[in-house]
Amino acid sequence: MIKNFFKLISSEFQLMLKGSVFSFVLYCLLIISCAIFSLSLKYESIGMHAPLSFLYVMIFFISLFKVEKIYSMDFDEAKVHQYILSPFSLEIIVFVKNMMIYFNMIIFFFIFSPLILIILNIDLSYLFKINILLSLSLLSIIFIASMTASITISKNNRLSITSILTLPLFVPILIFSMAITDLIDFNAGKMYLFFVAYFLLNLAFSPLLTSFALKKLSV
Amino acid sequence: MIEINNLSFARGNSLIYKNINFSLSQGELLLIKGANGAGKTTLLSNILNFTDPLEGRINYNGSEIDNHIASQYFLYIGETNFAFDSLTLNQNIEYWLSIHNVKFDKSVKDKSVNFFFQDLNLDKKFYQLSFGQKKKLQLLLLMLVNKPIWILDDPFNGLDNKSIINVHSLLKKKLENKGIIILTSHQDVNLNNYKTLTLA
Repeated sequence: MIKNFFKLISSEFQLMLKGSVFSFVLYCLLIISCAIFSLSLKYESIGMHAPLSFLYVMIFFISLFKVEKIYSMDFDEAKVHQYILSPFSLEIIVFVKNMMIYFNMIIFFFIFSPLILIILNIDLSYLFKINILLSLSLLSIIFIASMTASITISKNNRLSITSILTLPLFVPILIFSMAITDLIDFNAGKMYLFFVAYFLLNLAFSPLLTSFALKKLSV
Repeated sequence: MIEINNLSFARGNSLIYKNINFSLSQGELLLIKGANGAGKTTLLSNILNFTDPLEGRINYNGSEIDNHIASQYFLYIGETNFAFDSLTLNQNIEYWLSIHNVKFDKSVKDKSVNFFFQDLNLDKKFYQLSFGQKKKLQLLLLMLVNKPIWILDDPFNGLDNKSIINVHSLLKKKLENKGIIILTSHQDVNLNNYKTLTLA
């Protein structure tokens, strides 16, 4: 079972690599939007908070797009049938898929982040802190987005608007991310702990709720 | 032994079927027939615990079928394909074998692939295959995943004559090995003894 679990991880990694073209397109769109944002405010003195907030909101949206796309492709009815009949629980499969989406998104961010910071006129000395901040909060964003996606793609859901109910879960991440931008010059170590704690909270219920939605609404 | 007692199912306000009863012992096959929309696939979904019936019981060896029993004993090949378009045939086989927790044995895999595909290049992407070839990839799991009960939704759909003969030989072998098979099809099965259930 353990051997097949690692094989599953390697297969999911392969799938993730195949889906990298879409991530690349999303990050290209991010760069374009950052350039437009930066150019439109070139005569304003806006500091680093507004560009960072913009970057955060854009990352939030492209993560939602990515998760929705992967879930609509990888959790169609026929695949969910097989996953349900697998000895691995659907929660494990959801967890592995979410982690692969996360790695895909974060690796691309690490590659593109210097360019994005230059475009947004943010000092490159913040590069490491911003990468750490984003890599911690993106975990929660992906896991919450998976719940949203599992409801949105469901075919048996009479009220697909219920996926909106998951959106307030994103609010603490965005609020705390913005709070951290105020403290970025200081030792904000304890603030980072919020993201770890919030991720652990999401880790506890997100795979359960996602797989429940997939089982009950998509088959 | 699978036992179904007084099974009914409704979708919204419309009753799909009512009071279905049958039992299947080891080495028996049930062919479910019926017109389009009669509820053949829905009945399979009920048996696999994908959907809850309106009323009635479905038992396997005296226990009500839940997700745990279904994943342990049932292998399901549905009408729609579950493979990934972006992966090759080989990668798809390895992926679904790992999902079903099957110990990978190259010689068994090669033998099974040869049984269905003969000279097909396994490095071909899944989307490059024809409908029948895609169907055969699904049916390949019948040879590679060892579970006692097969639930097959229209397994002959899209297959050529040679492949239909191959599937029949697999069904025959499964019944000889005391397996249980439930399948839906619009055509008769070329086997000596089997039960039939016709949905109105």
